[in-house]
Order: sequence, then structure tokens, then C-alpha cells
Amino acid sequence: MTRKTKNTISGIIRGIVLAFYLLLVVLPIYWIIVTSFKTNAEIVNTQHITYWPHVFTLENYQHLFSTMHYATYLKNSLIVTLSTALVVTLLSIYGGYGMARFKFKGKGAATIFFLITQMIPSILVIIPMYVFFARVKLIDTYQALFIFYTITNLPFCAITMRSFFEGIPYVLEEAAFVDGCSRSQTLWKVVLPVMFPGIVAVFVFAFIGAWNELIAGTIFLNTQKMWTIPIGLKALVGKHNVEWGAMMAGGVLALLPTAIMFIFVQKYIVEGLTAGAVKG
Amino acid sequence: MSLATKRKLQPYLYIAPIMILLLLMFGYPLIKSIVMSFQDYKLTKLNKIHWNNFKNYKNMISDKNFWLLVKNSLVYVITSVIGQFLLGLGLALALNKRFRGRGVYQSIVFLPWAFSSFVVGLLFRWSFNGEYGVINDLLKKMGVIEKGISWLGTPGYSLAVIIFAMIWIGIPFFAINILAALQSVPAEIYEAADVDGCGTFRKFFSLTLPFIKPTIIMTILLRTIWIFNSFDLVVIITEGGPANYSQTLPSYMYSQAFSSYDFGMAGALGVLLMVVLSVYAVIFLKVTNYDKAGDF
Repeated sequence: MTRKTKNTISGIIRGIVLAFYLLLVVLPIYWIIVTSFKTNAEIVNTQHITYWPHVFTLENYQHLFSTMHYATYLKNSLIVTLSTALVVTLLSIYGGYGMARFKFKGKGAATIFFLITQMIPSILVIIPMYVFFARVKLIDTYQALFIFYTITNLPFCAITMRSFFEGIPYVLEEAAFVDGCSRSQTLWKVVLPVMFPGIVAVFVFAFIGAWNELIAGTIFLNTQKMWTIPIGLKALVGKHNVEWGAMMAGGVLALLPTAIMFIFVQKYIVEGLTAGAVKG
Repeated sequence: MSLATKRKLQPYLYIAPIMILLLLMFGYPLIKSIVMSFQDYKLTKLNKIHWNNFKNYKNMISDKNFWLLVKNSLVYVITSVIGQFLLGLGLALALNKRFRGRGVYQSIVFLPWAFSSFVVGLLFRWSFNGEYGVINDLLKKMGVIEKGISWLGTPGYSLAVIIFAMIWIGIPFFAINILAALQSVPAEIYEAADVDGCGTFRKFFSLTLPFIKPTIIMTILLRTIWIFNSFDLVVIITEGGPANYSQTLPSYMYSQAFSSYDFGMAGALGVLLMVVLSVYAVIFLKVTNYDKAGDF
């Protein structure tokens, strides 16, 4: 086989592989979007499944806002998620920096502790917290979710932040020290500006984690006016049937913010995790 | 305070907020649940809490479904992790070479990372619906099947749908991490290998793989832990059905905790999961010779 045909063949194989992954992701997304614009009659028609809406309708979206208080769920989700993501990012900056830049006694133990937090089944945390929140009257408050989401997202975010710090050359800080900057001045004025993409990425991780969470939400919140988006949508799942049209419309709206954010930051995540010389 | 002690204390000042918070918020619930697991602790009978002589553990093991749950959990976690890893590795390798439109392509195929498993779970439940699901329709059109399959109502298939959804949502995690590791491999070592006339496979197994091994070990370890403990897809797609054939230990624990409010029993299941995961983590890190122990 000549080199040229070999290249053509490997090019074709790569094309097939890339197309496979693209379809794998795009088809389900296509399906949820298309379904959200169909009428209910069309959705549950068992005889004939349509791959493009026969009748294009916005009724599913209208239903969310008119009869389901989707706007309230959106507000609640935003309050809980933004406060969680902010606090997690701030704590991760300090924790990640400390873990990346210092050698100290107990560092190994601290890392193992992070790993252990990941092994604890969430229900084991939720149950005692539920009992505790009930005692201090925090059930049905934003604070309950904020506390739970903060601690559950913190370990992974801090560890990722640490990897990002480790990718930044230490010479930058040394130069600042020589100029007489203190540690925290150096962190805020020299390191963090370089790290900005990484910080945004960690913020988005925490945002995604809190925004998408369902189980703890259903347990810590009772009244409808406190519900976040996933809990509100879950109310569309009945014992025997699901309101598929409204569900898919709500799903599209729920996926939209995190999808947009992720499109912008995924590049930074790859770059931030890439170590060594190739880093720009 | 002398400068030297100040220096020594400095790292602790940085990690103190996060460590104290995590120790308190994970430590207290953990100890509390371990204690609960040895008690008769039902939320409906809070005034009758008492030690019960390992009754939760005995009931757990003698439960007629216990071994089915163990089997389901193992099938679920092993196939999901292997599927995600292989597909994620494939995607990372495909993305490692430049091509036109790579940036846009990348931002699309990584999207499932951002998606809520609740919405994804429902989308799969809807697509695999036996009566009006799109999967049956497509398979019929392609001539693979003649009559619609009741995916979620058939033992075996229902768990497979959950695994499929889990793999779908988890590919980007592996792809992103492995891609970053691949891009850290210095280009010079490939040049040297080319000079020596190494083939593609040879290069992959003797150069690339050793280089990205730490990333592979850590991502597999983390992912196994997360998947083993995750149960939202089970709850959303099948609720464990039909007849517990897709129920896993964590989803069973969830139903024990919040439909029968038996916190003692849930605690016992939780302790079991933790022990299994710890043993797994230790053995996995030993077997893979991971030298940067715990350094993920």
C-alpha cells in the first residue's frame, strides 16, 4: 500500500468515527427539541411517529409559564445555583492554591480525604442533614440546598482548581515576590488574572452541579413556591403517564443555560488540564 | 509570632476553610449514619429509636432481592465504566489531530457533560417507550425488529437502557480528561519514534499509553465511584422495574430511606457501599501501580 492510499483510508476512518460521535450527541438533542414543538395529540400517536412536527406549536412552552409557575422555579434555581457556584469557586481558589503551591504535613491525608468524600453515598449525607435541618427549621429554604450543593460540589471543584494552578509556571509568582508582593497580593493580582479561564470553568462545574440536582431538592423542599426547575419538572411525571410535551419543553429550557456556558468553557477545561510545554 | 512559624502556618490558612467545612459537613453525617445503621431508626417512630443488634445488616443480607441488587449494581457499574472509557478514549484520540471545524465540533460532542441526568433520563425513558418510542419505530423501519419491544418492561433490557443513558452522559468526562493528557505528551518523542520506524499501534501502546496512564487511572477510579453511588437515572427511567430487575443497591437505599423512612436500613446499605468502594479503591490503586497515591 502506498503512503497516499494509507492516508486516504485513515482519513475516511477518522471521518466515520467523528460522524458517529456527532450523531450520538446530536440525535437525542434533536429529538427533545422536536418533541417540544409538537402537539400532544401528535406526541402520543402510536400509529405514526413524526420526525418533524406536523403542526408546529408553542403550547408546551406556554403551558410551562401559564399553569406551571416555571418562572418561579427559574428564579429559585438561579438564586440557589448562583450563590452555590460563587462560594464554591471562592473556596476552591484558596483550597486549590494551598494544595498546589505548598508542601505541608498532612497534604497526602488531605488528598485522600477528598477522595473519601466522593465515596460517601449522597443519601448518607442527606438523611442526617434532613434530620438536622428539620431541627433548626431550615427545611424548605434556599439555605438548605445552598449548604448541600456547596459541600457536594466543593471536593471536585477544588481538586480541578488545584490542577489548573499546577499548570501555571511558578516563575510568575517568584517574580512578584522579588518585587515585594505578599502571597495573597500575588494570588489576586498575578496568578488569578492568568487563571481566569480556569476560574470560569470551575464556576461552571459548580453551576452545572447545582442547577441539575434533583434528589436533594425533592427532599429538602416541600412547598411549590420554593421548587427549583428539576423538581418542578418532576411534577409532570405522574404515576401512570407523563406530560411529555411540557416535559420536553421544560427540559429544553433547563438544558439551555448550562449548554451555552459549557460551549464557551470546554476549551478552557482542556487547556487548563493540559500540563507542560505545549501550554500556551 | 516569628516569621518561621508564620511561614509554616501559611498553607493551613489557605486550606483551612475548605477542610473544616468538608470535615464538618461530611464527617458528622457519616458518623451519624454509621450509628443509625446499628439502630432501629424510622422517621415515623422517632421516639422509639434503639440499638437493634445488627438487625439492619441481617435483614439486608437476608432480603430476597439482595443478591439480585448486588448483581445489577455490578453489571451497571462495570459496563457503564468500560463503555464510557472506551468511547471517551476513542473520542479523545479522534480529537487529538487538528481538522477544520474542530472547535465547533468539540463544543457539540462535549455537551452531555452539561446536561442534567434528570432530563437525559426522561429523554431516554421517552425514546425507549414501548408504544410510542422513537427507538422501536427506527428499528422497525430498518427491519431489525417486526414488533415493538417493551424495553422498560423487560428484565435485562430495562437495565440496559439505564446503562446506555449513563454511558451517553459520561463520555465527555473521559474524552476531555484524556484529550488534555494526550496534548501534554511532548511531540519530540513521536518524532524520535518516527525516525525509528515505529507503527501507529506500536506508538500508541509504548509511547502514548504510558504517558496518559495516570489520567486514565484517576478518571476510571473517580468515575467508578460516582457511577456506583449514582441512582438518579434508575429512579427516573425505570424506578427499579420491572420487579427490581433494574434496581441497584443505591436506588434501593433511596427507596428505603424516603418511601419507607427506614433510615437504619438505609444507613446499613450506605455503610456497605462505602466499604465496597474503599476496598475497590485500595486494590485498584495497588494493582495499577499508581505511584502518586491519592494525588488526583
